[in-house]
Amino acid sequence: MKQHLQRQSGVANVDVSLIDGKVEVTPKEDGQIEPAQLLKATYDSGVSVAELDMTATGKIMKDTSGNLSLQVKPNQSFIITANELSKGLEPLVDSGTVVTVRGQLYKKPAGKQRKAAASAPLKLLILEVKKE
Amino acid sequence: MKRKHFALLLLAGCVFIVPKLEAQIRHVEMRVEGMT
Repeated sequence: MKQHLQRQSGVANVDVSLIDGKVEVTPKEDGQIEPAQLLKATYDSGVSVAELDMTATGKIMKDTSGNLSLQVKPNQSFIITANELSKGLEPLVDSGTVVTVRGQLYKKPAGKQRKAAASAPLKLLILEVKKE
Repeated sequence: MKRKHFALLLLAGCVFIVPKLEAQIRHVEMRVEGMT
């Protein structure tokens, strides 16, 4: 699995902890990492992902449907799932302010929802807004 | 002498440039099952 992940574009380093089932991926400084590709590469290596969290820096945007999103690159953004922490980001919409957040992008759904959720786009559930 | 001052000024400018917070994914962590 480590080799599968290290072959992905934008990946600088992969740390695997067998004891607690954790995989840490460090992106390259100037590279673009694609979390959906990491999920796929992990599944392709025969391992099931229970949860994927990421820490990212980006701008808060709002789309035409009123959804907040975190834009990390001009061609890469993640729709934010509304929660208490995301409400605090509303004033930053289109302000150009760069913010660092930690959030959950994927959590293995339970039971019958599994198939439907697997094809759904990844949404970012904000867990922490980092002060910098 | 002028050249020395200019070089020092240039060096100081390089050292004191404030690092800009760049938009990017900084870290990804996965919890996995079925790993041997």
